[in-house]
Amino acid sequence: MAQMWITMGPQHPMTHGLWTLRVKVDGETVVDTEAELGYIHRGVEKICEARDFTQVTPYCDRLCYVSAMTWANSYIYAAEDLLEAEVPVRAEYIRLISAELQRLASHLMWLGAFGPDIGNLTLMTWCMRDREMFLDLLQELGGSRMHYNYPRIGGVKRDMPIGFADRVIAKTKLFEKRLDEYEMMLDESTIWLVRLQGVGYANAESMVEAGVSGPNVRAAGVNYDVRWAHPYSVYDEIDWEPAVEKPTSVKGADCYDRYRVRMEEMRQSCRMVLDALNKIPGGKNTNYASGDEMIYTKAPTRAPEGATGFSNYECTRGASQFYIQGGGEGRGKNPYRVSIRSPMFITIPYVAKTMIGYKIADIPAIMGSFDPCIGETDR
Amino acid sequence: MAEAGENFAAFNSRALVEMVGGVTDEALKATRIKKFLGVLAGRYFNWAGRKSLFTLHLGIKCCAIEMAAAATPRFDGDRFGVLFRSSPRQSDVQLINGPISKKFADKVVRLWEQMPEPKYCIAMGECAISGGPYFQSYNILEGVDTVIPVDVYIPGCPPRPEALIDGFGLLREKIIRIGGAPSVQRASEKPVIVGED
Amino acid sequence: MVGSISLEQNTSAAEASLAAINDRFGGSGIDASVQNHSNAKKYAFVRIVCPPQHWLALAKWMKYDLGVNYCSMVTGTHFPDGPDERGWEVAYHFLRQPIQDQTPNTCTVHDVNALSGMDIPMEYEVFIPLPQGDSPTVPSIQSIWVGADWNEKETWDLVGIKFEGHVNMHRVLNPNDSPEGFHPLQKQHKLRYHDHNEMYDDPQGFMRKPADEGRVK
Repeated sequence: MAQMWITMGPQHPMTHGLWTLRVKVDGETVVDTEAELGYIHRGVEKICEARDFTQVTPYCDRLCYVSAMTWANSYIYAAEDLLEAEVPVRAEYIRLISAELQRLASHLMWLGAFGPDIGNLTLMTWCMRDREMFLDLLQELGGSRMHYNYPRIGGVKRDMPIGFADRVIAKTKLFEKRLDEYEMMLDESTIWLVRLQGVGYANAESMVEAGVSGPNVRAAGVNYDVRWAHPYSVYDEIDWEPAVEKPTSVKGADCYDRYRVRMEEMRQSCRMVLDALNKIPGGKNTNYASGDEMIYTKAPTRAPEGATGFSNYECTRGASQFYIQGGGEGRGKNPYRVSIRSPMFITIPYVAKTMIGYKIADIPAIMGSFDPCIGETDR
Repeated sequence: MAEAGENFAAFNSRALVEMVGGVTDEALKATRIKKFLGVLAGRYFNWAGRKSLFTLHLGIKCCAIEMAAAATPRFDGDRFGVLFRSSPRQSDVQLINGPISKKFADKVVRLWEQMPEPKYCIAMGECAISGGPYFQSYNILEGVDTVIPVDVYIPGCPPRPEALIDGFGLLREKIIRIGGAPSVQRASEKPVIVGED
Repeated sequence: MVGSISLEQNTSAAEASLAAINDRFGGSGIDASVQNHSNAKKYAFVRIVCPPQHWLALAKWMKYDLGVNYCSMVTGTHFPDGPDERGWEVAYHFLRQPIQDQTPNTCTVHDVNALSGMDIPMEYEVFIPLPQGDSPTVPSIQSIWVGADWNEKETWDLVGIKFEGHVNMHRVLNPNDSPEGFHPLQKQHKLRYHDHNEMYDDPQGFMRKPADEGRVK
């Protein structure tokens, strides 16, 4: 049978974003793939050269729009490295809580998009309903459902509102029971298991060599998490464990392992949030005014030429890194160069090669299980 | 009894239908029933069209997440007839929800041209209206209305799902005014902006 | 409670890497040092400044002898006003991750406090300054780390630094039909409206016209 190239073009219900995946098929089997990115390349790195350090934060929210808070935090750590700013401990706790709540919302969005790929449309409605709970909490903190512009260089914009902690505890405990419902529905479903197990093997060594990180590599049994390997914030003070999944085959992690890793990560995020609320200095029911020294330290606004800042942060989809050079326009008020390392930019070409050898019908399962987000890929 | 060469079934019914049809048409036009039926049918199609706006499943950037949220149980666009279709040939509305880069501009136009009339375009979010926060970028068009005609603009970054549903409501009002009209009639229509009046 | 890498482990790993690098490459123009971050927990990392002619040798040694198995970021900067020997700079970030062979049904279990020597995760930063000019070139490390592949494509696409020996270089973020030699992150390319102070000249944007008016179909 002749082989042909099929274009799963930018407008496609299953690609979770705007990119083209060209597959060469021989009958139903995928023989070769090619990925083409760049459909929403916005030139954020160039735009940031014309913005203040504070004005760059909203752009970083919009990089990976599904997990905006983690990307904003990632940039803020790099800016703090560059400007040598101090951060009060309470602000670190609040950043941790906001990042973990965002991680929950992002994994729910992933599951809500992954379910329909496999054919389970109910998951979309359930997950988005639960995601709304966390979006309401993040809206209380940041002001908007999706792009918060919440962390500041040297702290956070404002403190947790009164009663926020009680709402977080109530919703997180409710969500832990909902996670049991999800697992009950999915882990015993034959269709789910047949479609995910044995599909999309990704080997640990090749993933690490290719630069894949985050839950994708933890699904292959590799215990690497930036939160303990290159610690930042207060992750070493709260009670958590990295979610690592034992791969079932020597060929590596399949889609089912990647799904399990994210479910486990959701449980760990719930645990982290509850523990952080217990340990936060100043108490969880106090509200300090904006600019109070408990949550914000005024940071320098100019960076001299030659200064650099680098941050390594565990975003939802992997390790994101920012590399900022100082000395830009405005006598150092703007950065000279902002370089963004997106985990998905490295993973998507790797995923395209993972699909070789499987059937066309497995493509959505494999692609969805790696959790692509094209916003951060195309910057 | 039919003889060889004679085929009563092939009696030339087409000519009969044309003759009968022509006579009926003249009669209807004379009594102005045809115009009345035309208006009624137009109104019916207008009602059916605006109550079931099939939207193209195109998710560009962050506003696509709010579009997805608008389809989910809390906000539920489906009760207004808004259903997402994967193929542009089967959709009425193209919802542009993100910045259009130079690479994607001709794909947007191609999707727009593939949609059959009557078709409408909604520009959702700042990036689609005017380039948004990326208006200075070397790769982003300043608004999708540089390449395709837009009917409704929904400001916001991103607009809340309620704003998107309101945008669909304003599109429905616009359809009542202009009907399932070909684009030439729409050149004189001003676009509708959510939040005005 | 999971343990994290402590400051002592991190500092000792950085010092050990520095000693190994100086041992092997000391005095050849490769300048290595241990720096501390100013953010988060102020951990240490190794910064290496390497001239382009020694880069391939250093890269191979880092991969096979120092155990640096993760190529994280490749990026470049254009310094048109910089000194003659530093008109361009290619910046690499690498990580060393403790990975072992994964047999089925096992996880890598780290007793974090027991990690030592080359098992401690470490960050490496490599800067390669290139002289002023129009065609900065640096040897490609595509064959050494797979993760450098698309990073190098992106650096060439956006900044214009050529990677010698890179197979299948193509535009990855800019459109495929971008003009030859168009690399937007070079400093001579300006943003739209870069000299327009709209807050004072045109606060409501009435005079703003799309720059691609008439040029996009």
